[in-house]
Amino acid sequence: MAVMAAPENTPVWVNTDRCKACDICVDSCPAGVLSMQLEPTSVLGAMISVVYPDACIGCSECELCCPDFAIYVAEKKEYKFAKLTDSSKKRQEAIRENGYMLPEDYKEAN
Amino acid sequence: MAFNYDQYLRVNKMPTLWCWGCGDGVILKSFIRAIDKLGWEKDDICLVSGIGCSGRFSSYVDFNTVHTTHGRTVAFATGVKLANPDKHVICVAGDGDGLAIGGNHTIHGCRRNIDITLIIVQNFIYGLTNSQTSPTTPRGFWTVSQKAGNIDPTFDGCKLAEAAGASFVARETVTSPKKLEKVLYEAMKHKGFSYVEAVSNCHINLGRKNKMQSAMANLDWIDSITVSKRKWDAMPEEERMNYLPTGILKQDTEAPEYCDMYEEIKKVHQGLRKPLTQDDFAKKI
Repeated sequence: MAVMAAPENTPVWVNTDRCKACDICVDSCPAGVLSMQLEPTSVLGAMISVVYPDACIGCSECELCCPDFAIYVAEKKEYKFAKLTDSSKKRQEAIRENGYMLPEDYKEAN
Repeated sequence: MAFNYDQYLRVNKMPTLWCWGCGDGVILKSFIRAIDKLGWEKDDICLVSGIGCSGRFSSYVDFNTVHTTHGRTVAFATGVKLANPDKHVICVAGDGDGLAIGGNHTIHGCRRNIDITLIIVQNFIYGLTNSQTSPTTPRGFWTVSQKAGNIDPTFDGCKLAEAAGASFVARETVTSPKKLEKVLYEAMKHKGFSYVEAVSNCHINLGRKNKMQSAMANLDWIDSITVSKRKWDAMPEEERMNYLPTGILKQDTEAPEYCDMYEEIKKVHQGLRKPLTQDDFAKKI
């Protein structure tokens, strides 16, 4: 069963039983919240993970684009989302360039 | 609480059998959101699907569903609708299912203007059977049945539906799920035959041999060949043939609906009125 009861104070959460690691949500995120992680038991060898939940701006792009009902975003009245910052954008660029995975030695450019 | 898709799904059938990143899932999601917006009861909806990847739609939604023979979605749906005129009937077919094998049924469904919503999942290829040329495959694409490049001219389903007499014709892509939801909402609300072409990606069977190996590359290609109808109208004639217009392309609320006319036939047989003559119709021939 899907995790439909929204976890407390969580902007975005995933159902790993349904995710097929297609990278679409990571590509669509503007704020570098999501990243793939190596997962040997998965068919494509990767699995979605929420790496920077605090940076989520609540645009719901990932939820709309996910074809497998695997990712959910809280509603705007339930959670106070962050604003889109330059460091979020830079992190997203780094994730995209690194094959949709957050570089291991990635440092925040604050 | 995010949107609860599971209330409309057969959760025990999840995860879906579609490939990773398949646009069918996005269409299914948009369709569910549109149904939720309409507020219809699950028991009042019948979803009819044919053969192909799009045929899996009927397995995943928790409505009354029919999984029919190849291409005969509109034929089955016509029967369902005539027997239950107060229920909502929706067909889902792929481009091969609805335009090649079932092209004849699609034409005559459009002609009758019966109150059915036909969603064509247009992914430019026969995806389920591994990349054979479909009527909508662009020229010059590699397919398993035309390995030297496809030479068959491309078929425009929306133009066909418009010409055949469908009273609602629209096209939208999976790259804009919100717009797709809106178009599906308008199509299902419309009384009469609604034809919606949802342009989808198939990076596995179309993309791999056509330089679009990832879902994102295929979606970018879809973005590059579609423009909104307003922009398309402003284009010069020679540029138009390289783009597909998206949005609502035709909406005619005046056209008589088939189930309404069928009620009159019922009245004739019940002895409540005289048989129909040409004077009963505004359009004579």
